[in-house]
Amino acid sequence: MSKKKSTIWSFFSSIQLAIVLISLIAFFALIGTLVPQREASVKLAESISPSLFSFLLKMQFFDLYHSVWFIILSGLLAVNLIICSLDRLPLTWRRFRMQSLPFNEEAFKDLPATNTFQAGSDVQRAAEAATRLLKKKYGKFARTDGPGNTYFCAQKGSFSLFGVYLVHLSLLVLIVGAIIGSIFGIEAYVNITEGETVTAITLRNGNQSIPLPFSVRCDKFTMELYESGMPKTFQSDLTFLKDNQVAHVGKLLVNHPIEFDGFRFYQASYGNAPGGKATLALVRDGGHRDVINVEQGYTFNLPGKEGTFQVLRVEENMMKMGPAVKVAVRSNKNEEAVFWVFQQIDQIKKISPDIFEQVPVFNPGLFQPYTFSLLGLEEKYYTGLQVNRDPGTPVVTAAAILLIGGLMLILFSYARSIWIRIGQKGDMVVIAVAGRSYKNQPSLQKEIQYLLSELKNSLEKSQ
Amino acid sequence: MINTTILSWVTFIYFAAFVFYLFRMVLGHEFWSKLATWTTLIGIVAQSVALIIRWKTSYNMGIGHAPLSNFYESLIFFAWTIVLLYLLMQWRLKNSSIGVFVLPVAFLIMAYASIAPGINNRIEPLIPALQSNWLTSHVLTCFLGYAAFTVAFALGLMYFVKKASGADVSQSSIFIRLLPTEYQMDELMYSCAALGFIFLTLGIVTGSVWAHYAWGSYWSWDPKETWSLITWLIYAVMLHVRLVRGWRGQRMAIMAIVGFACVLFTYLGVNLLPSLHSYMT
Repeated sequence: MSKKKSTIWSFFSSIQLAIVLISLIAFFALIGTLVPQREASVKLAESISPSLFSFLLKMQFFDLYHSVWFIILSGLLAVNLIICSLDRLPLTWRRFRMQSLPFNEEAFKDLPATNTFQAGSDVQRAAEAATRLLKKKYGKFARTDGPGNTYFCAQKGSFSLFGVYLVHLSLLVLIVGAIIGSIFGIEAYVNITEGETVTAITLRNGNQSIPLPFSVRCDKFTMELYESGMPKTFQSDLTFLKDNQVAHVGKLLVNHPIEFDGFRFYQASYGNAPGGKATLALVRDGGHRDVINVEQGYTFNLPGKEGTFQVLRVEENMMKMGPAVKVAVRSNKNEEAVFWVFQQIDQIKKISPDIFEQVPVFNPGLFQPYTFSLLGLEEKYYTGLQVNRDPGTPVVTAAAILLIGGLMLILFSYARSIWIRIGQKGDMVVIAVAGRSYKNQPSLQKEIQYLLSELKNSLEKSQ
Repeated sequence: MINTTILSWVTFIYFAAFVFYLFRMVLGHEFWSKLATWTTLIGIVAQSVALIIRWKTSYNMGIGHAPLSNFYESLIFFAWTIVLLYLLMQWRLKNSSIGVFVLPVAFLIMAYASIAPGINNRIEPLIPALQSNWLTSHVLTCFLGYAAFTVAFALGLMYFVKKASGADVSQSSIFIRLLPTEYQMDELMYSCAALGFIFLTLGIVTGSVWAHYAWGSYWSWDPKETWSLITWLIYAVMLHVRLVRGWRGQRMAIMAIVGFACVLFTYLGVNLLPSLHSYMT
């Protein structure tokens, strides 16, 4: 190109710039793995001076991967990629055209003597041999019958010349996908206690709550362990409701997200939730025994219809005396008794026999003629869900496919052209084979020698 | 367990192969080269058998998974890919001098896996996060990449050994004369780095797909992810300076060594940082 390029153009089209930018990005990435980022940086604040910390904070040192610095570097690299590719594309295009020139006398200039041989045959027969060989080896080829000489041309892998542009394009597409994700994407979480329904999620960045266009209920959370105590499965049974209608029911497992209405739900964590279920036994006059499953906040009828009782609290460990349930019993005559029912009441009584006199509300027989006993608590869990929406994902996927395809083209295939020239010299035919490849010269030379020996063989046979 | 017993034997087989390759390089007899190659072959066959047994055993235990799930298994697989790649290269090039640089690496990795404290060689069930079909493809591609980079690193070392001996080949020892030419080593270094680059790319992509299913984000700047990106960038620079700037020889050897340092940090160093990828938790 004889046109004088502007300084800016040549600055951005230089490979040096690319190398500097790539090195800087690598360096920043490295710093980011050593300096605690985001939430983790709080710890660092305690060990360095507050003014230094606030300076580093202002410089976005604790969120490097989302900092202005990183965005500027990535932007410059994107511009560099575009300009570099545009700058080199015409040259590649010329090479690509050159690859498929049917008649290229230049390729035969300064050809070593080993690439030429003579045989007692004629052009007609040599051309037939060349046709057979090229058809077998390359499939497609071009023939030109010039004045004096006949030319054949065949090529392989010309498209690999464009592999590098595919790779560069893929990186640009990747950047676009990441930008789409960061602008329109949502990264949030929500904890749902078993049996409860949520209609909003909390953003990871900034803790802001945003409403969902539907509601999600966690019906059950299950955790299975291996014998060794290592976790085996975490599973949440979820129900998705739209306008109070069940729209989808699914089991959410780690590695198996559920997508609903554009949001993806991931099993991320779990924990114990307050207020689980309890199993109570009610003994009437020391005789008839009823077992009832209860839950905090609900009101139940007494088995003999004398009144109702309500579960006020379910405690896993009440005053370090084990599981307990607080109940309020109300008779039909509006008499009320409130007391605690301990699961380990027998042990407690053994340790302090006069406990009921000291603390009457610990007496499970406070409402006659019933005696309550707590058979067991069923632990209640909450499930921690990661909720994401990233419209950039398909773009990033496309980028990944382009990237791998481009790399394969560059590294596993290479452009190669072969020209065969056949001419008559007296009663001998002169055959020359030339080639051009931008990579892997030794393999090209091998291929040329192979073609020469094949041609020689077939001409000798036909004599 | 039988598989770990075989694997500790393989460690010694690789050491013996290294010694035979060394004899060959010092004494120059072709016999040692043949012996070394056969020893290496026996080693890799035994190692493959052990890996298959380990795989099978995990299914018999009812917790079936490919033997790629913990630090011990990753080390064993790393050594396996290195030896496999080396044998393919020796077969293609008909030159066994690279073995004297590659086999000790494989031996050291195997020895580290068997001896180092705190490395658990039991077959263990997969925790929920690892229960994915992407585990195998992710680990496989990553370690093929690591292995190619390791061979490139060995070639880089060889390059400096050859270079240090001076330009006059006739004056140097058998050892130096048996090494490939500087041109060949440079070409091989490039091929290995390019192969490693492809596999590392595949490893990062499969990892991203997996992360997308497991954690809800294809990229979350976890230290391991970040270090794999740093490694990827270093090798990207290496390929560019060669293809565009025409760097050859010594500069490429330096790049291969620096790149390998990054690979090592990505693989091992990240365990020192808080990471979801840590083998230590």
